[in-house]
Amino acid sequence: MKFKHRKKQAKKHRSGEIPTGSFADIAFLLIIYFLVATTLVKVKSITADLPTGEKQADAQIDKTPTLMLRDDEMLFNDNPVTLPELNERLSALKLPDKDPGKRIIMLESTDSTRYEVYFHALAAIDAAGGVVALVEEEE
Amino acid sequence: MSKRRGRNKKKRRQVLIPLASMGDIVFMLIIFFILASEFDKRKNLDLELTESDQIDDPDFPIAARVAMDAEGELYFDGDLMDSVKSIEYAVKAKVLNAESDAQRRVEFQADKDLRKDQFEPVLKAIAEGGGIIEAVAKEIKED
Repeated sequence: MKFKHRKKQAKKHRSGEIPTGSFADIAFLLIIYFLVATTLVKVKSITADLPTGEKQADAQIDKTPTLMLRDDEMLFNDNPVTLPELNERLSALKLPDKDPGKRIIMLESTDSTRYEVYFHALAAIDAAGGVVALVEEEE
Repeated sequence: MSKRRGRNKKKRRQVLIPLASMGDIVFMLIIFFILASEFDKRKNLDLELTESDQIDDPDFPIAARVAMDAEGELYFDGDLMDSVKSIEYAVKAKVLNAESDAQRRVEFQADKDLRKDQFEPVLKAIAEGGGIIEAVAKEIKED
C-alpha cells in the first residue's frame, strides 16, 4: 500500500516540457534549404497598353503617323528606316508634349513579321511616349 | 611569483558567445523568406527572347504570366492552354477585381521568331481581357 502511494506522487511531479533544444538546428536547415532552392528571377520589359476593339475612321487614320512592318523591314510614313532612325523620327515628334489623343502611332504589319521586329517597334513607340493602335486588314 | 599566477588565470578564462537568441533570429529570417518569396510560375520554356536596350524593370505587381514557346504553344501562369480565347477569359478573371492599372499588368514572353499571325491574336486577347501587356525581353549586355 505504501509503495503504490509513493509511485502516484512521483507521477504528479513529472514536468511536461517540450524539448526545444534542436529547434535552432531545424530552423537553420530550413534557411539553408530556402537559400539553395531559391532562384532570383529578374526580367525586364516594355509596357504596351493596346487599345481594345475600337475602330477609327479612315480620315483620322490618314493624319496619324504610321509604322509599317514588312517581314524584317520597317517603314515609317512609307519611308524605310532602321531602328536607330525610327527612334530619332519618333522622338522628333515630341509625343509626350501632345494630348493623349494625338500620341497615337498606327502599327501595321504583314503576317510574316517576326516577333523580334514587332517587339522593337513596340519598344520604340513606348520609349517615345506614343500610344499604339493596330491596323487590321478588312476581311 | 604572484605575477605568473595572474597570467595563468587569464589563460583559463572562457569566452562564452550568447547563443540563446540565435533560434529566435533564425525563425525571424525564415518568416521573412516565406513572406518575401514568390513562387516562379514560369516553366522552363523552349523560347529565345528578343534582345533589346529599351527595356526597364517591370511595374509590379504582375497579375498573370502568359508565354508562347517556339512551337506556338500557349501557357497561362505555367499551365498549357488550348486556345487564344481561353487566354482572354483567364486574363479577364485575373483582372476582374483590379482597382487600378497597376493591378492589370500581364507579363508576356514569346519566342523571337514567331510570326505575327501566331502572337498578335494573343496580344489582342490580353488587351481584350483587360490586361496591360508587359512584354519581356533580354537585356543586351555590353562587353
